[in-house]
Amino acid sequence: MIDLSLNEAETLAAKAARGAGFSWGLADEIGRAARGMAMRRQAWGEALLALARSADALAPPDVARIARWRRGERDIAGTRPLCPVRTAALLLDDAPSFAGKLRIAHVGLPIWLDAMLSRSAVWTADVGEPLATGDVIVRRGASAARPAGARRAAVAPQTLAALNGYAARTYVPESERSRARGAGGGRVDDDQ
Amino acid sequence: MSAVALRPPELVMRLARLGASHPTRLSFLRLLMRRAAQERWRVRRARFELDDEGYGRAVYAVATPARAYSLVAFSTPLEDERRTDRVIAQAWDTSYALYDGTPDADEVARLQANAPLQEAGRFTQRDLVLARANKSVRLFQAVVDALARGEQPDAEQLANVGYLMRTTAVYGNGKFGIADRDEIASRPELGGPFQAEMLTVWLIRSFTFDLADHIASRRNPTGAVRLARPLRRMLGVGNATGLGMAPFLVRHPVLIHNWFCARETALARVRALPRAAERQAAAFLRALDEMRGRVAHWRTVDPRQAAAILGLSADLGALAREAPAILRGAPLPWDALYRFAEERLSLEGQEACVALLLEPHGALVDDLAETMTADESLGHPIDGGMTCGALRALIETRYAWARRIDFAQPAAVARFWYVSADKLEPRLGERFEEDGAELEQPLATARDALALSAALRREPAEARLAEFLVRHPEWRHVARRAQVVAKFPYAEICDNLIGADLRPVDLLRAKLAFFGARNFDPRSDRWLRIALFAGEPLIEEIDAEGALGEAA
Repeated sequence: MIDLSLNEAETLAAKAARGAGFSWGLADEIGRAARGMAMRRQAWGEALLALARSADALAPPDVARIARWRRGERDIAGTRPLCPVRTAALLLDDAPSFAGKLRIAHVGLPIWLDAMLSRSAVWTADVGEPLATGDVIVRRGASAARPAGARRAAVAPQTLAALNGYAARTYVPESERSRARGAGGGRVDDDQ
Repeated sequence: MSAVALRPPELVMRLARLGASHPTRLSFLRLLMRRAAQERWRVRRARFELDDEGYGRAVYAVATPARAYSLVAFSTPLEDERRTDRVIAQAWDTSYALYDGTPDADEVARLQANAPLQEAGRFTQRDLVLARANKSVRLFQAVVDALARGEQPDAEQLANVGYLMRTTAVYGNGKFGIADRDEIASRPELGGPFQAEMLTVWLIRSFTFDLADHIASRRNPTGAVRLARPLRRMLGVGNATGLGMAPFLVRHPVLIHNWFCARETALARVRALPRAAERQAAAFLRALDEMRGRVAHWRTVDPRQAAAILGLSADLGALAREAPAILRGAPLPWDALYRFAEERLSLEGQEACVALLLEPHGALVDDLAETMTADESLGHPIDGGMTCGALRALIETRYAWARRIDFAQPAAVARFWYVSADKLEPRLGERFEEDGAELEQPLATARDALALSAALRREPAEARLAEFLVRHPEWRHVARRAQVVAKFPYAEICDNLIGADLRPVDLLRAKLAFFGARNFDPRSDRWLRIALFAGEPLIEEIDAEGALGEAA
C-alpha cells in the first residue's frame, strides 16, 4: 500500500472525478468525501475507481422521483442505477424539503451516498452492500459519531495508477509555445 | 470612537490594486516574528556537517514553549547550467525539510535520500514543509571572496540584491506525502496562516549566512571573517514565484476573505482614532522614513514596476511633507492621512500608506491576526432552498462589477487556465491560439457568474436552486461561489481573470505581500522575484529582550 497525505487523496479524488466526467462542483465534493472515507479507514481508492468507471452508467434523480421523495411517497426505481453523488448533493442542498425518512431505490455504489452525507450532520444513510447497487434508507439527523482517526490515506499502487489515469484527463499537454511562455523563472545568476 | 467604513471589495479586490500590495504588520512573517519573540523561541545549530566546498548537511533546532522543530538542510553540488528558478528544475544548490520534532540519524538519512529530489522524493507526516533554494551565484561568490579575504562584502551591493539565496518552491499541506495542514492547524505556534512555511524560510535565511561563513573560513582558516551582524540582519531570503501560486487565491475564497477583511478592519480601526498620540505619530514617521530607505534600494528589471517605484518614491516624499501637519491638526488625523493618500497618491502610494498606518498601531490591530485562518468547509454547503430568482438577484448585486466586462469580445476571454500534463502545474493558455481550452480550470469567475445568471433567467424565478443544480451540475461550483461571496465579501477578485490584459503577477504580489514579501521584481507578466525576512531579527537575536525593536 502507498501512504498518501489526506490532502493528496482529496486532490487526487477531485481530479479523478472530474476526469471521469463529474462537474467541477461535484468533483470537489467527491474529493472531500474521499478524504472522509480515508479518515474512516474505508477503501476510498477502490470506491473512487468504481465511481469513475461507472460514472456514465449512473442516472441523476429525475423530477418525478424528487417529487415523490418530497411527499414521502414510495420510491420507484429507474432503469439505470441512481447516481449516489448527485442524489446526496440534492439531499444536502435542500434537506428540509424532503420527508424525514426515505427509502431510495436502486442506488449505485451506495458507499458514496453515505460518504457524501456523512460530511454533514443533516442525514444518516443506512447502506447495505457498499459497492453493489441496492436500496438505501436515509434519515434526517446526525449519524452516531464514527471513528475518523486515520491521518493518512492508504491506497494500493495499481489503484493509484488507475486513478492517476483518470486525473490525467484533466491535464493539457504542453505545446512548444506554452513551454516557451512557461510559468516563469529564469537563470539564477542574473541579479544585480 | 467614531466608525469608519471598511473599504469596499470593489475597490480593494481589483487587480491593479492587488498588484500594488505592500506587506503590513499583519503579514505572516511578522506574525511569526512576534510570536517567536514573545515566547522567546530558542534556535540553535544542532548539526553542521559541511565539507570545504560547503556540501553536506545541517540541522537547526527550534525550541518553542510546547514543541521542538528542526530545519534539516542539505547542500549539494550543482552544475551552473542546471541552476534555474523555474519550478520544473530537477536539481538545486540546497534542499530543506522542516521536521516535526528532533530527527534521529535514521530520519536525517531518510531525508538526505529524499529532500534533494524534492517532488521526485517521498515524504512522511513528520515532514511539515519541503523547500529548496539556489545561490544567487555572483553575489554569493562575492560575499565568500570578501569574507575569505578578511573583509566585509560591499553593503551597497548586498542591499541591491537583498539575499544570498533564493527559494524556488516552499511546499506545505500534504504535498508529496508531507504532513497535512490538519496536523499543525490546532498548534498555536504553527496554526496561523503559512506559519510553518515562514518558519522554514526564516531558518533557511540563517543557513545561507552560515554557509557563506563556512566556505570562507575553510578557504582561509586564519584570516576569514564572519558576515557582520548588521549585514546579516539587512539580508533576507529571495524567492521566485510563478503562476502556480495564482489559482490559490481563487480556490480559497473564505481564507482570502479573512486575510483581506483583517487588513481592512485594521485600517478602519486606525482611521477611526480621534487623534494621533505623539508616540504613534513619531513611529509612523519613522516607519515612513525606513520605507523611503528601502524603496531607494528596490531594484527591478520590469519597466512598469520601475515606473511605479519612481512614483512611490515621490508619493512617500509627499507623505513625509504633509504627514506632520495632518497628524498634528486634523480631526481624525489618520483618516485624513489615508484620504490624502487616496486623493493624491498612486495605487502603490496608497497601499504603502495603508501599511504605514497600521505600523504604529500594534496594540490596536494585532489581535486581528487571529482571524486570518479559515475553515474553508464553511463555504461548502449550498443553500438549495434558495430560489433561482434569488440567486440571480444575488449575482446581479455581488457581481455588479463584472458587468463592465464585455465577454462577447474575444479579448475578454483571450486566456484560459489549465494544468500542464508535463509538470502538473497551473499554466495560462491563449484560447484562440492554443489547444486545450476544453480542459479549462474553473478560474473564470466573472465570466461564469454572469453566465450562471443568464442560465437562471431561463428558469422560473420561484424554482428551487437544488433542482436546477440536479439538472445542471455544471453550475454547481459557480452557485456555491456566489453564495460564499454573499457571506464573505472579500472572497472574490473583482476583475477578469481570463482577459488579454491580465497580468498574473498582480495576483502573485497580493498573496506574497500577505506573506510579508518586499522588493517585488516582476520578470515577466507571470513570474516575479521577491525578498522575505530582510531586516527581521536573526535566529540568534529572537530570544533577546526587544528583539523586534518596535515601539508598539
